[in-house]
Amino acid sequence: MNDREIFINMIDDNLNEMSDTIDCLYTTSNFRVKNKLLNRLRKSMSNISMLTQGLRNDTSMNNPQPSSDRLFTLDELSRYNGRNGNPAYVAINDIVYDVTGNAAWGGATHFGLTAGTDVTSPFASCHAGQPILSKLKVVGKIT
Amino acid sequence: MNQTSNSCSNFSTRLETVSVLVHRAIDAIQQKTIKKRNLIWLELTGCSGNIISLLDGANPDFKSIACQLVNFIYDNSLMASEGEAALEKLFSMADGDYILAVEGAVSTKDNGMYNIIGRWKGQPVTAYEAVKKFGEQAGHVITVGTCASDGGISAARPNPAECVGIQNLLNRRVIKLPGCPCHPDWFMGTLAYLMLFNEPELDARQRPLMFYSTLIHDICPRRPYFNQGIFASKPGEKTCMFKLGCRGPVTRVDCPIRKWNDRVNWPIGDDSPCIGCAMFGFPDKMEPFISYDTT
Repeated sequence: MNDREIFINMIDDNLNEMSDTIDCLYTTSNFRVKNKLLNRLRKSMSNISMLTQGLRNDTSMNNPQPSSDRLFTLDELSRYNGRNGNPAYVAINDIVYDVTGNAAWGGATHFGLTAGTDVTSPFASCHAGQPILSKLKVVGKIT
Repeated sequence: MNQTSNSCSNFSTRLETVSVLVHRAIDAIQQKTIKKRNLIWLELTGCSGNIISLLDGANPDFKSIACQLVNFIYDNSLMASEGEAALEKLFSMADGDYILAVEGAVSTKDNGMYNIIGRWKGQPVTAYEAVKKFGEQAGHVITVGTCASDGGISAARPNPAECVGIQNLLNRRVIKLPGCPCHPDWFMGTLAYLMLFNEPELDARQRPLMFYSTLIHDICPRRPYFNQGIFASKPGEKTCMFKLGCRGPVTRVDCPIRKWNDRVNWPIGDDSPCIGCAMFGFPDKMEPFISYDTT
């Protein structure tokens, strides 16, 4: 299942829950229950808003067309190792991402990988199907 | 900022879980609704840190489980017997009903000859043989600590004794309790749950969700510093240690809530970054343990 399908499934789940909540609203006269149900509706709306934003990002970033036209050779990429003032960049499928402030890249390293390198292969083996790339900023591509 | 909030019901409930489970199991044994189970604890290729950690358990403590919860049949560090007399107790369980706890990895090079756990009828017994024999027949197998769970330090590069985690050798599912060492609560809670309800719900890496469901980063008392971008530049500073290479954001376990040494403190509370000891790949994939000059 790709990221887009995951987002769509989650939106469907929220819509189903909203439908159930509305059904309950028709049947209750208790104002406390009503308030609780209305809060639940608002939460579902908030979820859907977040998911549609994720869907937009997924379309533009997970199958990304780099917003930046900047090109990197692997040698240039190696300078962006997250040390001494340099940001931390990694390449995945020829797209260069910024992981400088990403929590999972503490000290500009992640499960034995270091920033400034091409991590396509380990990414594919560990994170296939996970909506991760859509959350990263694209900074260019590999020539 | 270093103190976990006691007012959070999520935290306080989690802290009570193990005590509730153990005392409920002990009550059930006294009321004869469940049976006291036999426990075998094998110390293999490791540092024995997990049995020492278990002795440090508090509310419930080690005495509660050794005297009231299980029949503690074998552990080479704690038992009074020694030599063949000790192995006699171990092998007396060969066809019996028991729960097996294992700490330490298993050395596999040269048929396991680099870790002999004792002699039985004049012959050396390797850790490899012991795990195969007692692991396949056990009612449940719990791997206690990171070495038994995933190889850990014993299997770190260059791994000259070719150590592996217990699951690699057994054709059955084991319950993994990684951590260096394993927190006494994680073991006692899992053991009590097994006796009361059978296997607890596990994650994809075979760890009980009741202890291993949450990232340290998500419940870290220094998380507000991360959110505000306030980072420590060296150990000893009281802010977020992300730039020093803290592994809290990739480590799933409840250290910030449970803490150590009778719930006194934990690494981040003492201004040292998490090194991801409860995560697969530790230590090799969690290195470097400290980084400087991070942007």
